[in-house]
Amino acid sequence: MAELQFIHVSKVYGGDTPAVRDLNLEVKEGEFVVLVGPSGCGKTTALRMVAGLEEITDGEIRIGDRVVNELAPRERDIAMVFQNYALYPHKNVYENLAFGLRMRKVSKAEQQRRVEAIASKLGLADMLHRRPAQLSGGQRQRVAMGRAIVREPKAFLMDEPLSNLDAKLRVQMRAEIARIQQALEVTTLYVTHDQVEAMTMGHRVAVMRDGLLQQVDTPQRLYDFPANLFVASFVGSPPMNLLEATLEADGGRLSCRLGDTELELPGDLVAERPALAGYAGRRVAVGIRPEDVREASGWDGTRVAGRILLVEALGAEQLVHIEIAATPLERTELVDTASQLPGPTLGFNEAERAVTLLGRFDRHLLLVPGEAVEVAIDPRLLHFFDLETGVAIPTADVPVTVQVLH
Amino acid sequence: MSSVTQIAPTPVAPVVTRPRGRRRLRKAGWNVLGLLVLLVMVFPVYWMVATAFKPGHDILSYTPQWVPAHPTLSNFTDAIHTQYFWDAVKNSLIIVTVVVGLSLVLAFLAALALAKFRFYGRKPFIVLILGVQMVPLAALIIPLYIMMSRLNDVKGVNHVLGVDKLGGVIAMYLTFVLPFAVWTLRGFLLGVPKELEESAMVDGATRFGAFVRILLPLVGPGLVATSIFAFIQAWNEFIIAYVFLHTPQKQTLMVWLASFTTLRGTDWGPLMAGATLCSLPVIVFFLLVQRRIAFGLTAGAVKG
Repeated sequence: MAELQFIHVSKVYGGDTPAVRDLNLEVKEGEFVVLVGPSGCGKTTALRMVAGLEEITDGEIRIGDRVVNELAPRERDIAMVFQNYALYPHKNVYENLAFGLRMRKVSKAEQQRRVEAIASKLGLADMLHRRPAQLSGGQRQRVAMGRAIVREPKAFLMDEPLSNLDAKLRVQMRAEIARIQQALEVTTLYVTHDQVEAMTMGHRVAVMRDGLLQQVDTPQRLYDFPANLFVASFVGSPPMNLLEATLEADGGRLSCRLGDTELELPGDLVAERPALAGYAGRRVAVGIRPEDVREASGWDGTRVAGRILLVEALGAEQLVHIEIAATPLERTELVDTASQLPGPTLGFNEAERAVTLLGRFDRHLLLVPGEAVEVAIDPRLLHFFDLETGVAIPTADVPVTVQVLH
Repeated sequence: MSSVTQIAPTPVAPVVTRPRGRRRLRKAGWNVLGLLVLLVMVFPVYWMVATAFKPGHDILSYTPQWVPAHPTLSNFTDAIHTQYFWDAVKNSLIIVTVVVGLSLVLAFLAALALAKFRFYGRKPFIVLILGVQMVPLAALIIPLYIMMSRLNDVKGVNHVLGVDKLGGVIAMYLTFVLPFAVWTLRGFLLGVPKELEESAMVDGATRFGAFVRILLPLVGPGLVATSIFAFIQAWNEFIIAYVFLHTPQKQTLMVWLASFTTLRGTDWGPLMAGATLCSLPVIVFFLLVQRRIAFGLTAGAVKG
């Protein structure tokens, strides 16, 4: 076991296409770090550089205390699970599991002992003589995992290992992989484009976009304190509601204008986030999580009038699309567009622009599409972002205590 | 289980019967057609073998004899004792062995480069390989002959290449076996996901080790298909061998077969016996290697 380190690592394809830009990341010994981001963000390239399957253009990658830049994959003592499993089709399960050991000149008896131990642990004991073609998707996935585990490598690298499974199996294997990792305490770098996977599995999550690392933190802090608009929009399902607003100073008070509605920011909030005062009189991006959008009755907070567009019953709760009069966020290049709702449909008020807010409501509320509704927004639950740079206000570097928002 | 709610109406039986009958009829029709095609393809072969066993007067009789009435092996002994038979066998075997061996090695390496590496001019090269196969052989014979005859004067190569040299014929066979072989093998190599090699390398194999242990076994069927093609091409080729090999001792079996047709007529019995003998190696070779083709390729390697 060992720690993994990226030190100012860059990768440029064909002379001018940067895939990874100045990546600095550390995976501590025994830690499970998930690298997440939309497709093409450079996460797989980063992983493949650790494996030695991709050359490093600039910077340094360390496994343990060795710089591995120039080492061949086999000299790095890491194991990799591929998205498509990459099982050797002409070898049976036993031979697949034993291949790495054979390559490392482990004795036949030891090979057999270790392969059989792993096989019984993963429930593959009675299919050791089958070929990969005769296995189901979940079994292939297990063989791929087993092949990595049996080697007892310094680190695991996993490249979207669950994306080929169907939804139910994915949830099951997600827990299984997390459990295996916990039991073995192997340093693991896991790549996925699925933020749910990232949030549920990782000790820490590293969000990447366009080859740039956006934020690295524990899943909960990533959710509570996104460093910028991209992370805010990418993490969380359903995604955070994002809109434009104006911060206005009125004497010593600061308020936030959303369309027609004025939300007064309480004094303690302003005191905790002094950077906000600097934005007085400027436009900012405002975000609010769907669970923080509440139906007005029984909740404090500023009321905002809206109209229900759609109600999606999820069983335990309902997801309500509410149209309110406000300015939609126009800097779409700063957010993860894939997670955003399509733009406003029918104008709430033809003269004004409208924004669709997603609200996570109690399932007992009787809501009908087309109905007028009032939502309560607690200014303390709002996230503020610079409209030019997309950076959170205050920036994530400023220590923010949890009590501030709750 | 007392009350079962019927959600959709069950299909009514009589509607199904008529199309089923019609389908069976159509299927029978296709089968009959298939048998007819088979008959057309198999008959000449049968006629060749049957003729080989018939004595001369039976071969030329006006009422066709479907089955040899007086089977004899004399045609075979005649054929084998014809002048230059063993020379021809030796020459053919040399040519075929070298062509199959060389074409496998060269084509595999070329296909590997085309399938696995990106380099400048890769696409045009692929198109060229395809294009070369469209040139008719007859158009090439004269230029090739001129080229080969010039090679006879080049010191160093004239031991191997040139007119009336087996090496020259081998080189020319390679020119039309290789493009096809490269093209076929490239397809097989593309079918092997690159993750398999990468996985082997991460697992501790060297690049060459991954190539030998993973890639080579997986393209086995491709190599077999290619070798069969090369074997058949080199074994059956006539025109080039006929034009380029003058000395009787250097003839191949196909040219030797043609020697049964003379100005005074064709000696059908020994010719058919010779032809039967000549087709045996191809059949034997095919039977030896065909079992490898059936193997299920890369099934199950990756989710597809």
